[in-house]
Amino acid sequence: MQLALNEDQRQVLDFVEALARPFASAPLHDAGLALESAELDAALVENGFLDVLAVEELGPVTAALVVEKLARLPFAVEAAFSALVRPLIDPDLPRPICLLEEGRTCTPVRFLRPGATVVVVGASGVRSFTAREEQIAPAQEDTLYAYPVAFLADMPETMTLHAADPAEITRAWRVAMAAEAAGLLGAALASTVTYVSERKQFGRPLATFQAMRHRLAEAQVLTNCTYWLAMRAAATGEAADAAMALLHAQEAARRVCYDYHQFLGGMGMTLEHPLHLWTYRLKLLTSELGGRGEQGLAAAAALWGE
Amino acid sequence: MQFEWTEEQDSFRHKIREFLHANLPDDWEKFSEHGPASPALTAFARGFCVKLAEAGLLFPHWPQDMGGEGLGPWEQQILSEEMWIAGEPRGGQYMNVNWIGPTLQKYGTAEQKARYLEPITQGESLWCQGFSEPDAGSDLASLRTRAVLTDGHYVINGQKIWTSYAGLADTCFLLTRTSDDRKKGITIVLVPMDTPGITVRQIPSLIGEGDIHEVFFDDVTVPETARFGEEGQAWEIVAYSLRNERLGIPRFVLARAALDRAVAMLQDRGDFAREHVRIEAARCAALCEGAGTANYAVVQKRTEGLTIGAESSSARYATVMAERAVCDFVVEFLPEALAGGSPYLKMHHQRGIVAGIAAGSAEIQLNIIASDVLELPREPR
Repeated sequence: MQLALNEDQRQVLDFVEALARPFASAPLHDAGLALESAELDAALVENGFLDVLAVEELGPVTAALVVEKLARLPFAVEAAFSALVRPLIDPDLPRPICLLEEGRTCTPVRFLRPGATVVVVGASGVRSFTAREEQIAPAQEDTLYAYPVAFLADMPETMTLHAADPAEITRAWRVAMAAEAAGLLGAALASTVTYVSERKQFGRPLATFQAMRHRLAEAQVLTNCTYWLAMRAAATGEAADAAMALLHAQEAARRVCYDYHQFLGGMGMTLEHPLHLWTYRLKLLTSELGGRGEQGLAAAAALWGE
Repeated sequence: MQFEWTEEQDSFRHKIREFLHANLPDDWEKFSEHGPASPALTAFARGFCVKLAEAGLLFPHWPQDMGGEGLGPWEQQILSEEMWIAGEPRGGQYMNVNWIGPTLQKYGTAEQKARYLEPITQGESLWCQGFSEPDAGSDLASLRTRAVLTDGHYVINGQKIWTSYAGLADTCFLLTRTSDDRKKGITIVLVPMDTPGITVRQIPSLIGEGDIHEVFFDDVTVPETARFGEEGQAWEIVAYSLRNERLGIPRFVLARAALDRAVAMLQDRGDFAREHVRIEAARCAALCEGAGTANYAVVQKRTEGLTIGAESSSARYATVMAERAVCDFVVEFLPEALAGGSPYLKMHHQRGIVAGIAAGSAEIQLNIIASDVLELPREPR
C-alpha cells in the first residue's frame, strides 16, 4: 500500500498542469454548451500525455491521474479513452476514440466526428471503424451535454475485429469514466465553493450557512471517495474495482449536480458561469455503460458471482 | 501509487488471523453479541489481551522506546482491521493501544508513565473517556465538571454522560474545567475509578448491556500530580488524541465483512438473484471500499510523518455512510438475521448506531470538512 504520488507521477502532473494553464479558465461562450480546444488536444498528443499507460514506469494509475486532471479543465478533451482504453486495443487507432456498447448504438456519442475511431464492444468482440461523414447524423451541435456529441446514423457493414477481450475493454472503459468523473466532480465542487464563498446574502457569504456547508462537505466526501476508487481501479485492474468505481462516480454525480446549481442561485441558470461545463458533462456520464444499475450488477457479479 | 499489501504486511495479517483462530472460543460469534463494554466481553478481553501481549500483538505499532516493535501505521491499521472484523475481542482495551498509551507517552509525567503504561502493555488495564456531559456533547468546550486545586489536591464535582466502559474501567481520562476560559480553561485529570465520591450508573443502550454510563463526581479528591499536561492544555491534547481515535476504529471493514456475510446467506437460500438486491449490495460494497481507500489515504499521511488534519473527518464520514448503508441492506433484505439468524450481523447492526455519534458526531465532521478541507468562510458564532 503506497498512496502517495511517486516522483514520475508528480512530474507528469506538473507538466500537464503547465501545459493546461492557458486553458484553465472558460471564455464566455454562447454557441451551445460544449466547449473544446483543438489546440489543447494537439498539445496533449504532441507531448505524449495520452500515451503514458504504455510507459513502464508510469502505467495505468498515471494515465488515470492525467485523465482526472484534464477533466477539471473547462475545455472538454477526449483523453479518457485515448489514455486508458486505446492502448489495450491498438495504440495506433486514430483519435478521438468513441466507445459504444453493441446493441446500444443510438446513444449520444461523445467526440464523434469524421475520422474518429468508433469502437463497438460486446458479444461479437471488440470491433472498430473510422467514422465517415455520411455515417454521422446532422444537427449534432445544439445538445445539453457540454461535451461535443453526435449520433451515428448508419453502421458500416464490416468492422475491424480486434484481439482484445470485450470484458477487459469494458473494465478499462469503467476506469476511464470513473477517472473522468472524479475530475469533473472535483472541478464542479471547487467552482461552487469559490462562488458561495464570495457571494454575500443577508450580509454574509452564502458559504457561512450550515444548510450549504453540510451538503458541500458531503459532496467532498463523495468526490474524495470517487477519486480514490478510480485510482485503485486503475492500479489493480480488477473488474470489481472498476465497476464499483464507476458506480460510485455515477451515484455521486446524481447526488451533487443539482445541488451545485441550486447553491449558485440565479447564476446557476446562466451560461456566464462555467459550472455547467462540468455538471452537464457529469450528467451525460451517468448514462455511460447503462448507468448505475448496470455497474451495480457488474460489481455484484465480480464480487459474489451469481 | 499502489494498492497492494506487501508480503510482510500480508504475513502480519496472517499471523493475527492465526492468533485469533487459536485464541477465540468456538462460540465466539455468539459471545460477541455482548456489547464491547459488557462485563462478559470485558472479562474475556482481560485474558485475551494478556495473550496478545505475550504474542507481541498488543502494541507492535508503538515505537521501540515504548516497548513496541516500531511497526508502522499500516501495521497498526491491519491490526485494528483484524480485531474489529473479529468483533473487537480487545473490548475497551483497543483505546489503550490506539491513543491512550501514545498520548501518555507524549504528554505524561515520568510518574504517570511509570504508573499507567505497564498495565496497558500487559493487557490488564481498562480506561474510560470522561468527555461528554449532559449539556456538553458536540459542544464539548462548554463542559462544566469542575476541578478546584486546594492544598495540592484537585477536588472534582460534576457529571459525565454516555461514557463507554465506565462501569468496569480502572482509570478515567477526565476532562475538567479549571477556569472560565472556554477552551483554555479545560484540564485533564487522570482519576482512578475507585476514588471515593464517584458513582457510576449504567444507561440502557442499543449497543448492548453495559456500554454507556452516567458518571457522577461528588467531591472526588485526587493529588495535583494526577493532572495530565498543564492546566488548560486539554484541548490541544484531546485534538491530538482524537485524530488518532477517528482512524482508530476501521468500521468499514466490519461493514464489508457483514455485507459479504449477508450476501452469502441470501445466496444460500437462493434469494440473491433479484437484480435490485444485487445492485443495492454493490452500492454498499462501493461505499465500504470508498471509505476504505479514503481511510488509507489518511494512513498514508501518517506513514510520511505528516500531521493528520481534516481529511480524517472526511474518511470518517465516508465510513458512517458505508456503515449505515450495510445496516439498511441487512434490515431490508435479511431482517431475520437480526432476530437470531446471524449473531455476526446482529453484532454489526448493534454497533453500527455508534458510527456517526461517538468520537465527534458526523455533523461535527461535516463542520470540520467545510472549514478545513473546503476552506469555506466560517459560520458566525
